Amino acid sequence: MTLMIDEDRLSETFAALASPARRAILARLAEGEANVNELAGPFDLTLPAISKHLKVLERAGLVIRSQRAQYRPCTLDPAPLEEISAWAEQYRPVWEARFDRMDSYLTRLRSQRKADEHDD
Amino acid sequence: MTERDVSQDALVIERSFDAPADLIWQMWTEPEHFKAWYGPDGATVPVAKMEVRPGGSRLVCLEMDTPGGLVQMWFTGEYREVAENQRLVYTESMSDKNGNVLSPSEMGMPHGHPATTKVIVELEDLGGRTKMVLTHTGIPADSAGAAGWAMALNKLAAHVEARSVR
Repeated sequence: MTLMIDEDRLSETFAALASPARRAILARLAEGEANVNELAGPFDLTLPAISKHLKVLERAGLVIRSQRAQYRPCTLDPAPLEEISAWAEQYRPVWEARFDRMDSYLTRLRSQRKADEHDD
Repeated sequence: MTERDVSQDALVIERSFDAPADLIWQMWTEPEHFKAWYGPDGATVPVAKMEVRPGGSRLVCLEMDTPGGLVQMWFTGEYREVAENQRLVYTESMSDKNGNVLSPSEMGMPHGHPATTKVIVELEDLGGRTKMVLTHTGIPADSAGAAGWAMALNKLAAHVEARSVR
């Protein structure tokens, strides 16, 4: 049950996604780039609050902030979301092995019950 | 939504068993049966306490014989949905032997690692045979609305895929 994925990176992604405000920002950026001012409008958040959320998203690699002039648009990078999928996939061999054992246990149970019926 | 969107943050496994649904249900809900198959290879399940009702608790111990001695891992959780022979939903977190949840950082995991996961078992009786669908998802440590989180993420992923022309 060893987890071979970059846990630090993954934990930052999970932490970043744990906030409804940050998920809302990501959903907005999924529609196209926007800068801090444009993001502050629909979310009823102050500029410093938006900046703080963006920093977390940037650190998690979910958002890229361009240095382009004063406009500094933010764009979404979906790559870390794909790693979450990989995180869940690590459990696949564990569960598959369990169900193999369930299968052979069911077979054992059934032959046992048949044998019991013969005894009656 | 495509299959890929759904699997974005969840593990989904579909299996068929040559046994009726009520027997597969017992595999999940009766400790005696559960212990027979659950432990990963090389592990045993010395403890499986199950209060199989919505809000009921569960406590499972996995025991492994390692070169360094016996190692025990405890997992606790809560049953969320219990529809006999059809659907079972429960949560799972690492814990101590008394069922006190251990934070991911106490377990040496970095902050933000999902402390709780959710397991969904769906059974469909195919007349003596049973189709079983297992869904295992991560829940971020400090998110109250886990389902909402998964949905939001799926929507976001679908949106991104629809837009990206890569």
